[in-house]
Amino acid sequence: MFATYLIGLREGLEATLVVSILVAFLVKSQRRDRLPQVWAGVGLAVVLSVFFGWLIEYTSTSLLARSEDRELFEAITSVAAVVFVTWMIFWMRKAARSIAGELRGKLSDALAVGSLAVLGMSFLAVIREGLETALIFYSAAQSAAGGAGRGPLLALIGGIATAVVIGFLIYRSALKINLSTFFTWTGALLILVAAGILKYGVHDFQEAGVLPGLNNLAFDISGVLDPSTWYAALLAGMFNITATPSVLEMLAWVAYAVPVLVLFLRKPAAPARPTAAAQPVAAPSAPAGTTTPVSSTAPAEPAAAAEATPAAPTSPVTDARQRA
Amino acid sequence: MRTTRFVVLAATGVLAVTGVTACGGKTEDKATGKANAVTVKATDTACEVDVTELAAGQTSFSVTNSGSKVNEFYVYAAGDRVMGEVENIAPGLTRELRVELPAGTYETACKPGMSGRGIRGGLKVTGAAASVAPDAALTQATASYQRYVTSQTAALLTKTEEFVAAVKAGDVTKAKALYPVARTYWERIEPVAESFGDLDPKIDGREEVIEEGMEFTGFHRIEKDLWTTGDISKDGPIADQLLTDVKAIVAKANAEKLTPLQLANGAKALLDEVASGKITGEEERYSHTDLWDFNANLEGSKAAIAALRPALEQRSPDLVKQLDTEFANVEATLGKHRAGDGWKLHTALSKAELKELSDSINALAEPISKVAAVVAR
Repeated sequence: MFATYLIGLREGLEATLVVSILVAFLVKSQRRDRLPQVWAGVGLAVVLSVFFGWLIEYTSTSLLARSEDRELFEAITSVAAVVFVTWMIFWMRKAARSIAGELRGKLSDALAVGSLAVLGMSFLAVIREGLETALIFYSAAQSAAGGAGRGPLLALIGGIATAVVIGFLIYRSALKINLSTFFTWTGALLILVAAGILKYGVHDFQEAGVLPGLNNLAFDISGVLDPSTWYAALLAGMFNITATPSVLEMLAWVAYAVPVLVLFLRKPAAPARPTAAAQPVAAPSAPAGTTTPVSSTAPAEPAAAAEATPAAPTSPVTDARQRA
Repeated sequence: MRTTRFVVLAATGVLAVTGVTACGGKTEDKATGKANAVTVKATDTACEVDVTELAAGQTSFSVTNSGSKVNEFYVYAAGDRVMGEVENIAPGLTRELRVELPAGTYETACKPGMSGRGIRGGLKVTGAAASVAPDAALTQATASYQRYVTSQTAALLTKTEEFVAAVKAGDVTKAKALYPVARTYWERIEPVAESFGDLDPKIDGREEVIEEGMEFTGFHRIEKDLWTTGDISKDGPIADQLLTDVKAIVAKANAEKLTPLQLANGAKALLDEVASGKITGEEERYSHTDLWDFNANLEGSKAAIAALRPALEQRSPDLVKQLDTEFANVEATLGKHRAGDGWKLHTALSKAELKELSDSINALAEPISKVAAVVAR
C-alpha cells in the first residue's frame, strides 16, 4: 500500500510543485487576478487527462494508446513546460531586481504576465504526468471493481492529496518569506525543478527512441537511492533526481541548470541604484536573523532549499498589500 | 511514421491548450488489426510471460503485479532498446502495454522495485504482421514452406542459366528441351513470384503485355521464337534480361516470409492458374508444354498444403482427408498423360480428356478454398 501511496505522491508532486510556486508568485507580485487562469489550466489538464485516460483504457483508440506515443507526449509536454517555467524564472529575476532597486511600485508594470502564459504553464505542468496518473487511476479502479479491494485506489488518492498538501505548504511558507528573498529562493528552486523536468523530457525522448543512449548511464546509485523509498519518491517528484540517469539526461540537466543559475544569480548589469548593485538581493527591511543572505553560488542542497522556510518572522513582511 | 505521430501529438497539445477537446482520434478497425493478447504475472521475484513466441503486429501485454513492490514492465529489442514500457504498476494492479512489434528477437523484463536490469525473458516475434493468433504449428508452416521455396529457387536459377546459355549459343534443340524444365520450378512457386510487382510480367508475361504498354520479354518471348520461327539469333539480350530478372526474384523470394494465410491463398491461386491458363492451353500457346506447368502448379499447391498440414491436422482433420483424396485424384488423372519423363503436349489431348482434368481440378479447388478460413481461426 505504501508503495502505491508513493506513486501518487511522486506523480502528484511533479505537477503541484510548479503550480504552487506559480500561485505564490502571482500572489506575491500582486497579480491575484491571474489566479483564475491558473485554475483553468489545471482544470483543463485534469479533464483532458481523465478523458484520454478513459479513451485508452476503455476504447480501442489508437491515439496515444501505444506506450511509445505516450513517452513522446510526456517528452514534448515536459520540454514545453521547461520553456514556460524558464520564462517565469526570469520574471522572478526581474521582480527581484525591481525590488532591489526599490522600484516596488513598478513591480506589476514590469511583470506583464500574459494570461495565456499562466494558463499554458499550469496546464503543461499538470498534463505532463496527468495522463499517466489517470491511467494508474483507472487500473486501480478496475482492480477495486474486480473485488481486489480499494486499497490501491485509496493509497493513490492519499499520495496525490499529500502532494497537494506539500504544494500548499510550500505556497504558504513562500508567502511568509519577505519579498526579495522569495524571488531569489523560489527562482533558484524553480531552476532546479525546471532542470529536472528537462532531464525527464530527455529521458522520455530516449525511451521513445527519438534520442539514443538510454542505457548509457552516467552513474548508478540505486544502492544508495532505492527508488522504492519515500525520500527517493520525494526527490524524483520534486527535482527528478533519479538513481540511474543516462549521460544525455545529465548533460541536459547541467546544460540547463548551470547557465540559467548563473544568469539568474549574477549581479544586475544596469542597476537602478549603485548601492543596490552591491547587494542585489538583500531585503531593504530584512530583520536580522530571519533569512540567510544569498551568496552568488547555487544552493548546495536543493532539498534544503525546498525546506528553507524560516521560523515565523519577527516583523510583518512587506507584501503585496503595500501599494505605491 | 514518426513525423506524423509528432504532428498528431503536437496537434493534440495545441488543441488542448486552446481548450478544444479533441475527439478520440481514429479508432482501430476491428476487422484488420486484431492485437495479440499476452498475459504477464509479475511478483517481487518472478516475471511470468504466458508466451515466448508471437506473430508480428499489434500486441497488448496485460501486466498484473501480485508482489509487494512497485513494478515496471519493458519489452527490449537488441541492445536493450526500449520497444515499449509501462511504469508505475502498483501492487495489486493490472496495467496494459500496447506496442507494435515487427518480427525479431526481443526480451521482456519486469523490474520489481523499479531498479536494476529486471527479470528477463526471451520473446520471439515471427512472420509479417498477421491477424492470425500465434500458433507453433503455423509458425512452423511458414518456416517449412520457406525451405521449399529456397530449394525451388535454387533449381530455377540453375535451369534458367542452362536455358539462357543454350539460347545464346543458338542451340534450338537444347533450348526447347530445357524450356519446360526451367519453367517447372517457376510455376511451382508462382504465388510467391506474383507478389513482386512487375518482375512477374517481365519474366512470365504473354504477348498481351504489349497492350499494357510493357515490352514483351522473358520466357514466352523466347518460346515464341523457338517454336514459331526457330530463329533465336537476336534473343541474346532477351535471355540476359531474363536471367537478371530471375536472379532478382530469387533473391526476393528467399527473403520473403509468407504468412500462413498467404500460403493458403497461394495454394488456391495455383489451382486457379491451372484452370485459367493450363487447361485452356493459353499459357504455352507455341510450345504446348502446358502439362509441365499444370504438374508444377499442382506440386506447388501440394507443397503449400503440406507445410500447413500439421496445423490443419489439429484444426480440421476431415479437411485434410478430403484434400488427400482430391490431390490423389488429380494426380491420377494427370498421370494418364505422361510421355517419357515429361508430358504429352496440350494439343495431343482430346476435349474430353481436358474436361476430365478440369473437373478433377475443380473438385480439388473446393476443399482448398476452405483452408484459408481454417488457418485464420
